[in-house]
Amino acid sequence: MNQDAKKLAASVYGRVNAPVVERCRLNFCTDLEKSVLMSNFERRGWHQVGPDDEWNFYWASTQTCRNLFSVESGYRMNDNQMINHFPNHYELSRKDLLVKNIKRYRKELEREGNPLAEKSEVVLHGGQVGTRYVHLDFVPITFVLPADYNMFVEEYRKSPQSTWIMKPCGKSQGTGIFLINKLSKLKKWSREAKAPFHPQLSKESYVISRYIDNPLLIGGKKFDLRLYVLITSFRPLKAYLFQLGFCRFCTVKYDTSVTELDNMYVHLTNVSVQKHGGDYNNIHGGKMSVQNLKLYLEGTRGKAVTDKLFAAMQWLIVHSLKAVSSVMANDRHCFECYGYDIIIDNQLKPWLVEVNASPSLTSTTVNDRILKYKLIDNILSVVLPPDGVPDVRWNKQPNPEALGNFDLLIDEELLEKDEPSSSIGKSIKNIKNRVT
Amino acid sequence: MESIKEENIHHTALKLAEEIKNLSIYKSFYSDIQKLVSSPNVKKEDFKQTLQQAMKEKGLETKLRNTIYHLVRAQNKQTKLDPLTTLSKASAQWEKRIHKSLNSMCSDLETSLAKLRPQSEQEEIAEKWQELSTYNLDLSKYRPVYAPKDFLEVLLTLSGYVPFTKDDEPKWEFAHLPLQVKSLDQLRKVYPEWASGELLLGANPEATLSAERAALGARVAALRYAPLAQEFLKRGSPHCLRAQLWAHVLGVELSTQQIAYFNKLKKNVLEVDLMIDKLIFKDVQLTASNDDQYFVFEDLLYQVMLCFSRDGEVLQQLKGSVGNPLTVTIKGKQTSLDSITVFPPSGIIPFHGFTMYATPFCYLYDDPVQLYYTFRAFYVRYWHRLHYISTHPQGIVSLCLLYERLLEANEPLLWIHFRNININPIRVVFKWLMRAFSGHLPPDQLLFLWDAILGYDCLDILPLLAVAILSFRKENIFQVNTIQNVDAVLADLSTISVVPLLQLALMKP
Ligand SMILES: Nc1ncnc2c1ncn2[C@@H]1O[C@H](COP(=O)(O)OP(=O)(O)O)[C@@H](O)[C@H]1O
Ligand SMILES: [Mg+2]
Repeated sequence: MNQDAKKLAASVYGRVNAPVVERCRLNFCTDLEKSVLMSNFERRGWHQVGPDDEWNFYWASTQTCRNLFSVESGYRMNDNQMINHFPNHYELSRKDLLVKNIKRYRKELEREGNPLAEKSEVVLHGGQVGTRYVHLDFVPITFVLPADYNMFVEEYRKSPQSTWIMKPCGKSQGTGIFLINKLSKLKKWSREAKAPFHPQLSKESYVISRYIDNPLLIGGKKFDLRLYVLITSFRPLKAYLFQLGFCRFCTVKYDTSVTELDNMYVHLTNVSVQKHGGDYNNIHGGKMSVQNLKLYLEGTRGKAVTDKLFAAMQWLIVHSLKAVSSVMANDRHCFECYGYDIIIDNQLKPWLVEVNASPSLTSTTVNDRILKYKLIDNILSVVLPPDGVPDVRWNKQPNPEALGNFDLLIDEELLEKDEPSSSIGKSIKNIKNRVT
Repeated sequence: MESIKEENIHHTALKLAEEIKNLSIYKSFYSDIQKLVSSPNVKKEDFKQTLQQAMKEKGLETKLRNTIYHLVRAQNKQTKLDPLTTLSKASAQWEKRIHKSLNSMCSDLETSLAKLRPQSEQEEIAEKWQELSTYNLDLSKYRPVYAPKDFLEVLLTLSGYVPFTKDDEPKWEFAHLPLQVKSLDQLRKVYPEWASGELLLGANPEATLSAERAALGARVAALRYAPLAQEFLKRGSPHCLRAQLWAHVLGVELSTQQIAYFNKLKKNVLEVDLMIDKLIFKDVQLTASNDDQYFVFEDLLYQVMLCFSRDGEVLQQLKGSVGNPLTVTIKGKQTSLDSITVFPPSGIIPFHGFTMYATPFCYLYDDPVQLYYTFRAFYVRYWHRLHYISTHPQGIVSLCLLYERLLEANEPLLWIHFRNININPIRVVFKWLMRAFSGHLPPDQLLFLWDAILGYDCLDILPLLAVAILSFRKENIFQVNTIQNVDAVLADLSTISVVPLLQLALMKP
């Protein structure tokens, strides 16, 4: 074979060969016996033990993780143990705290005079003028209720035609969410929630966010993106983006008319919502891959705008992480894979909707299973040192081959060294260049 | 020597000039030029020079060049076909069977092939035109008229040969047809850029190549010159330019006339209820609606496929290649001349998976009309050859034969393995060939493959890819010995990188 043919062969075969996995016997423990997890552990020849045994690797629920780290538990992890959550992940994954942290982050940058916090004036829906962050305007305006009620009303008055979305802070899968287009509806809700026969509701806090009423539609339907982001450290920040995300489509055409305001099949993209609809298809599950979304956008809208959109999504992820990095308990035993929910509007601007600390590992379709299996496999190979044994002393700089379908988003430690040759540095510099 | 050549060129030019006069665009083109001549830009003293310059500036030169290009291409492709009697007989019989099956489906379901739609139904369809997925139809009793495997059975009877009689006899059925196909070495001459290892999009992911191709491609697209666009496609199109480049190569340009024509097709769908419509709905549902790559385009596909069935221009352009469609009376219409319709007006009866010929275009066009015309041009140029029996060198029979020959010559061990396990190797790849791999390859890979089809104006790449995939998976095929298991080995093509695989096959070892 000549040189070119060899190169070709490598690129052909490279896609099919599964990387050889180091077989070393780790003890793992899990709260979640999902098949995509168990089959990965089994393939690696790991041995399952209970939570009270000596485990090296724990795939825990967020609750278990918080308990383990709580002072009362008195549990101390050793150097060869690892767990899949940061103890205070909720700084990112609770809807109210996420927004609070982002607001604080922007304020801090502003105080420092950082160019990232540049602001400009925009004309709002109602014709009034407001100010927006130029580079950090990636979450819809949000208030916590009941605490920020007055602030909300002030914002509401600026553009009374807007629709708002109410979400309970601590719930997921679309439960408890509803849309509001009149202040009176909110007042009615708060009266009912405070009513004596609903005492439990009054304690619950909500976020209310500007509803993105101009989502990008494909085939007339709304969708959002589920992207997976792996964090191995918050200080210095080390984050990876999984290439194989997907779009989750509504089963019903998008329709902004008031009569459809309560139709969750039109507005909420959660699979847990959509699968109850009559039009749910369980072969594809309403999921289309992000790669195909990209292909479609490049084909129909052009490359420049598509590249800009994808760069903006990376930007959004990195800054949402920076916004919490100072408050996260950066325990070296922890890593975490977050599920980012992102909506793209019809101007191809991405908006961060929420971050999940326990993205679903249930497989709804065959492709879903393949994707999630790869996700777990790639997570394991990124978070474990090359010899396959957890070790907190490891510098958390995996070999390029270990990344699988993950791309490095940012590694502040590498940036610090500022190796001009590293490809990683380049992509971050690109992001930096957008600002300076 | 030179003078003979010159004379030849002169002669051809005269002939073409005569032929252009018969084209539909001639009148408007001529009047455009007349207008130009009377403009101040064109000087009497330097008539030729200034007119040429003015034509260039107005884009008329490109239009003329493209017209000649398409004219010459059409003539070159009109190779006199040797009408093999066995084939034309089989083809006529097959057509009869299809018509019979349509008719009996009709009487079983107590419906008619064509009838007027009641007003209420017309209104409902018109209202739901953008979301026909919500148009409720009971299709449970409708079955596709035929599937690729039925068509294959027909093809396998063509030579009337019974396999496995003697050891040293030529094997497999197609080999007995007196058709010429290329060897791998001859294919290398058809695809010189691929064979010589030039850098191709889809094979070399380096950013520099994509940037270079994107910059060059943008210039090519701006020129709107068909032969140049075609040349460019040989090495693969950037995704963002494909919609334009394909349209240029195929001579598709949206005019107000064409938009009006599309609306006429739509109007006919609304007015007349053809039984074909149910089959189209059924086919979209069975294919695209269940496919995670295409389900979002379901509603677009209903529009395009329904209108396609009404398009008499398709039949006109394919006269002689697609048999003789039925003519039926539209029930409920006043008996008059227009109560008779060709069934369907396009002359094309869809089979199971027919929609897949159109689905990849959804990644290029949002607008149903643009999608429609590029898809239609592609169909008329290539896809009809994949589901009609003919001796055409690009027809399905020749492609099957090419596949066999390539496999036998280049993968003899596989060939023997198939013999030993008593499986005709065409069976495991036929559906790929018949659908031009649509629905089997991921869309980005498929689009690179179709770039090459347009770029080289040749379907030979389909059987070549089939062989390349088999050869790539051969170790796994050697380990199985039933057709189900071979199918299982070949079922998932989502990890196949089309361009490197093909280039590897075409490059000399
Ligand atoms: N601001 C918004 N604008 C438009 N749609 C939204 C907005 N917020 C949420 N949604 C829709 O509602 C869904 C559920 O909201 P999310 O914040 O993810 O809550 P949950 O935790 O219940 O999944 C999202 O996936 C999205 O489709
Ligand atoms: Mg969510």
